[in-house]
Amino acid sequence: MDFLGKLRQQVKLYLFWVLLLENALLIGAWWAVHVYHQELSPLETLIGMSILGLFGTLLVSETAEKRVTQPIITLWQAIQHIAPQGGEERAPDLNQKQLGRELVANLANHVYQLASTVQAVEKTNSKAAQNLHANFVASSLPLPLLVLDKDETIVYANEATSKYLGKPADDLAGQNVYTALDMSFKSDDTLSTWLKNSASKTATASHKWEHVRIGLPGQGDSLLFDLAGYYNKDNSLGYETLLILFDHTEVYSQDDQAMSFVAISVHELRTPLTLLRGYIEVFDEELGPTLTPELKEFMVKMDAAAQQLAAFVDNILNVAKIEDNQLTLQLHEENWQNVIETVVNDLNLRAGVRGITIKTDIAPDLPSVGVDRYSIYEVLANLLDNAIKYSKGTNEIYLTATLNKEGLVETSVKDFGLGIDASILPHIFDKFYRNHRNRAQIGGTGLGLYLSRAIVDAHGGEITVNSKVNEGSTFTFTVLPFSQVQEAGKSLGNPSLTRSAHGWIKNHSLYRD
Amino acid sequence: MDTGTTTTKPKRVLCIEDELFISELYTRALTKAGYQVDVQLDGQKGMAAAQTDAYDIILLDLMIPSITGIEVLRTLRDPAKTPKMHAKIIVTTNLEQRKDIRADIEQQADGYLVKAEITPRELVEFLNKLDV
Repeated sequence: MDFLGKLRQQVKLYLFWVLLLENALLIGAWWAVHVYHQELSPLETLIGMSILGLFGTLLVSETAEKRVTQPIITLWQAIQHIAPQGGEERAPDLNQKQLGRELVANLANHVYQLASTVQAVEKTNSKAAQNLHANFVASSLPLPLLVLDKDETIVYANEATSKYLGKPADDLAGQNVYTALDMSFKSDDTLSTWLKNSASKTATASHKWEHVRIGLPGQGDSLLFDLAGYYNKDNSLGYETLLILFDHTEVYSQDDQAMSFVAISVHELRTPLTLLRGYIEVFDEELGPTLTPELKEFMVKMDAAAQQLAAFVDNILNVAKIEDNQLTLQLHEENWQNVIETVVNDLNLRAGVRGITIKTDIAPDLPSVGVDRYSIYEVLANLLDNAIKYSKGTNEIYLTATLNKEGLVETSVKDFGLGIDASILPHIFDKFYRNHRNRAQIGGTGLGLYLSRAIVDAHGGEITVNSKVNEGSTFTFTVLPFSQVQEAGKSLGNPSLTRSAHGWIKNHSLYRD
Repeated sequence: MDTGTTTTKPKRVLCIEDELFISELYTRALTKAGYQVDVQLDGQKGMAAAQTDAYDIILLDLMIPSITGIEVLRTLRDPAKTPKMHAKIIVTTNLEQRKDIRADIEQQADGYLVKAEITPRELVEFLNKLDV
């Protein structure tokens, strides 16, 4: 519809009628004067008519002005209404009767649409501006930064990330974060558990992890860093999770080197210990026969204390490594019978001194196992040592090894001694937990079982205990046959079979669940 | 004319150890047990002494001055550098080693003992069991 044409017609019509009316009134006035007031001269008539005409025209222009300018006013009001600096706050009534109502409404609507478009463009521009801003920050940030979507896929990885991992950023984008980064954490509090919890419980969350390890392909080297994460659910840009890595590889890996503070401390503690233990033994030999039972008891206590200190020092480094997620195991194929016999041989000395025999019963065709020989030796030695320590009054310890029905190699160390109270049993693998009742008589550091469990867990096995006071205890742990270990290692891209104390160096979410 | 009894010569032990007190401790125990003990507090001198092939057992500390125990071990086991040496080398140390380093050491030596873990008497028993 031609609203403009309509307006022009309406205005023409309006003006026509208004002017016609005025003219008619003037003509009527002139006719009235001519008919009823003939005494007036033409000049008087002229003046009278002019004055009338003037007033009439004033009236007409007053009333006409409003009607003719109304459309423009309405439009002006509409524009003011949406102007950014405000002005008219309320929108004009576009339905009010006026000249060119349709045109005005049409124009006003165009103006509104334009304004809306402008706003949209501004918003887009500012979003783009924000992105630009973020890109500047993200790309200049000297820390690796990753953004994940709700499926834990990497949406963005900055320059620093690709430098840190030695992979081009394009390779990282689009990959699942667990595939791209084989992370292993100090404990069960992992990135994937945190994201799962956050997704079901909160709208936003933030979290930090320390001593996270990423295995680098091939060498068995790894990076150690702290991780910070921010999660926001249903982010409109699809940016659900933000991760930043703080590398500490140099600092954290110092304990790997022989000259680290902990390592040197271990050495410095052991040197005087060697002397203490040595000369206590000398005194025992030289003076033993001459000492009163009381004094002899003191010598025994000194010796026990020195041994306790030595055992603790042995464990310090390993526990420190577990804490810092630096304990790594190398799993190799080993003959389990062989391993057991070595340990039993070494501990027979200590057992023999107390009149205890270690009886072994090893199933004949056990499969070869996948273990880290040194660490698993420590586990066996710890269990046997405990059995010896707590075997007061009895003289036999049984060590059995079988293939259990889950296909795992199961080893048990059974003693018939003091046993463990049921109230203490759940805590027995805790760090520093000692059976206080026996603390005075039985040396120990409270770390042995903690370490043993960490090592068994790291092997993919499980350690459990059964015990009854004054009847004895049985500690049982499982290790995997080498074939299983090898399979798992292959499927996780870890052919060198390196494991941390908390799992495979690759924290693959599929594997974990 | 001495035809019947054969006196077994005392086994000769070289103790390469820089901690004087520990060397004294071991010397005392080993001498009492019938060994003949020489002590070298310096690594280079100890290595040279070992290479004379005058000893049956070498107790080698790893943390010694002027050269590392591992270097000494490697040299003594290198037929090019030590053509003739029949002694058993027992590494004694109070250092905690990285597992791969320890495995490497154990492969080259005939024994690996942590000094703080072993009393002199136990050391003597260990050496007695060696086939020298």
